Amino acid sequence: MGTTAGAQQIIGALKAAGVNLVSSVPDINMLQLINLLYEDKEITHVPVGREEEGIGVCTGAHLAGKQTAMLMQNGGLLNSCNGLTTTALQFGIPILLLVYYAGDIGDNAFHMVGLVTEPVLQGLGIKHIVMRDPAKVKQDIAGAVTLANSSKRPVALLLTRAVL
Amino acid sequence: MKRFECLQAIAPLITDELFVCTAGGATAEWNAVRPSDGNIQVKTLGLCSSIGLGLAIALPRRKVFVFDGDGALWMNLGSLATIGLHQPKNLIHICWDNHQYESSGGEPTAATADNLDFAGVARSAGIKSSRTAITIEELEESVSHALSHDGPHFICARIEAGRAEAPPLRYDELENKYRFIRYIEETEGISILRIAMPASYLLR
Repeated sequence: MGTTAGAQQIIGALKAAGVNLVSSVPDINMLQLINLLYEDKEITHVPVGREEEGIGVCTGAHLAGKQTAMLMQNGGLLNSCNGLTTTALQFGIPILLLVYYAGDIGDNAFHMVGLVTEPVLQGLGIKHIVMRDPAKVKQDIAGAVTLANSSKRPVALLLTRAVL
Repeated sequence: MKRFECLQAIAPLITDELFVCTAGGATAEWNAVRPSDGNIQVKTLGLCSSIGLGLAIALPRRKVFVFDGDGALWMNLGSLATIGLHQPKNLIHICWDNHQYESSGGEPTAATADNLDFAGVARSAGIKSSRTAITIEELEESVSHALSHDGPHFICARIEAGRAEAPPLRYDELENKYRFIRYIEETEGISILRIAMPASYLLR
């Protein structure tokens, strides 16, 4: 589910970092966050059916000047590997990847997805941080957006329940 | 009808619209017929409809064309449902349907069986202005209609297989991206590309 306070903190940090378009595929742990996105007036929210579509939507929006983020579960990160490689990385598109870290330590499901998530990001050459400290949310999101823009690449933040 | 003849027929209808072109033969032919920095060539098969959707949402007052192929659209058929959900008025999605993966050696696609009605799928997904064009006159009329009415629009253009002689794009995807963004900046009167300054520069 996530908490309202956690979701509000993340939305506030996204706005502070200049993010103004978020594409999403839901995960139950990001329910509060996605509900807030539906209501938000400043951030354009673009739900998609499959995560790779979202990489395309963020790319198209970036070409027109939007600061974008893709919200998804790590299973969806695996779904979007070709789009990340041959569109986002090949064209040099900064996208903030906000990825719920299913199968992380302490999780009782999706252990296989959890096992491969960080090696896949490393293999793609996508820098990432695992977010475990609610006190660092604003700093991590700001830092990831700065790096995405300066490197012109996607940067991933793996969201754990502690920050949601 | 041949794709190249179709492109020649619709080019006079075009002014400064943006074109997101699939990783296939339509792209080189379109660049030969209408050379412009307002054309971008996608490298991921199937993703042009999603990139076009993002562009159309970000620039709601600008007409955005997507040039798709039947193999590419089969790979991302769900994008029709997503376009149907968001209803971008400015999106004109054309699928050049030659019943085959022309760029991958001519293997048949799902369209070959004639069981797949792309325009029917698009209409059922909520894209009300969905048509199939089998003659150049129908295609011209469909594009004219799309340019003068709110969308989203979907047009399945049934074409013969085969490519016209057209040179490949003169530049790579990075230059294509920068030219495309500069074209949007100039024609929209907005600033998009920002160069990050090193911290040492900011301290001075």
